[in-house]
Amino acid sequence: PEAPAQPKEEEPPMHQFIRKILHEDLQKSNEEKILRLMRKLNWDDPEVAAVAIQHLAGGWRVRASARRALARLTAELAAWQENVAPAVVDTILEEIRVTMEDPHPKYNQRRIASVRYLGELYNYKLLDSRDVFTVLYSFITFGISNDHSNVSPLDPSDNVFRIRLVCALLETCGAYFNSGSSKKRLDYFLVFFQNYYWFKYSDPYWTEENKFPIYVKYIYQECLSSLRPKLTLFTSWQQCKDAIEEIRQTLYPDLGEDEHFENDDQGEDSVAD
Amino acid sequence: KDKKAKPHRPLTKIILRRLPPTMTEEAFLEQVSPIPEHDHFYFAKPDNSLGNNVYSRAYINFVNVDDIYLFRDKFDGYVFLDEKGVEYVGIVEYAPFQRIPKKKKKKDPK
Repeated sequence: PEAPAQPKEEEPPMHQFIRKILHEDLQKSNEEKILRLMRKLNWDDPEVAAVAIQHLAGGWRVRASARRALARLTAELAAWQENVAPAVVDTILEEIRVTMEDPHPKYNQRRIASVRYLGELYNYKLLDSRDVFTVLYSFITFGISNDHSNVSPLDPSDNVFRIRLVCALLETCGAYFNSGSSKKRLDYFLVFFQNYYWFKYSDPYWTEENKFPIYVKYIYQECLSSLRPKLTLFTSWQQCKDAIEEIRQTLYPDLGEDEHFENDDQGEDSVAD
Repeated sequence: KDKKAKPHRPLTKIILRRLPPTMTEEAFLEQVSPIPEHDHFYFAKPDNSLGNNVYSRAYINFVNVDDIYLFRDKFDGYVFLDEKGVEYVGIVEYAPFQRIPKKKKKKDPK
């Protein structure tokens, strides 16, 4: 994990306190105690509330072993402080968006950790599967050209990190998408995800001398086979395109308007005309 | 896990992004007032650990869907100034997460 950014000025003691108990002290074993401390904060003070929310959203700052504890603490705290849950999720989604707009590798570790943390928050019901899929689709559509002759600055040929982000999120919470509408959503998503993978994999940037990173291929295959062991993976970009065309023909008329975000042409969430 | 046959609900929560990092909630409200009828407003200070991408942002949940378009027409692309006169072009979008806090506030006995 990255070192936390050093504040330029001395932080107020209350900020330091919140940072310390959430990002240094918190473990599975002392979660109850830290929850009590968090509940005792003066939530009526907007500054304290804002700092607490920022740190509760900072799942990337904690050790991987404490990530789930922070998610659970956030969920339990949210029962008492109604503002906490939406604000924490909003904050993480904004961070995900910003780091797609500026896909600098320095954010990569943080991006993986934040996405896993979001998955944990889903596991504690702070967001719906629908919201998780909004994020998943954003990874494979936001600023993506789907055209090798037209490279998007937000998704350069050599950048395969979005594949890893999708896998990190699915690894954290995808196992719960195994019944009802969330199962269906995952089945459809996996078609579009395979399409994105093959779009990246078949980019002419990759050659015999400069091969597509093998570890990403393994992460991708491992992710899909653990979620859907019986799924036969597509073996070419054309197969994916054909499968998507089939979905378009048979499914889109039935999806209804509220599923508009599953349209892979929709790169941005700008307010529609 | 998901409830079946959820009635179709329009998107009502918007985010106004890329506001000046030093902007205060008061200054923001002064500039955009009056905000049409809304039941949730949240102004978020920037995350200073995001390097060159440090901005404030605001969330508003509108009661009337039509107000969203009027608000968008006015503030999507609107230039906000910080105290040094640096320009920040605001972006209005639907918030990717549409949940807002529940109305009734439980008092935490602590």
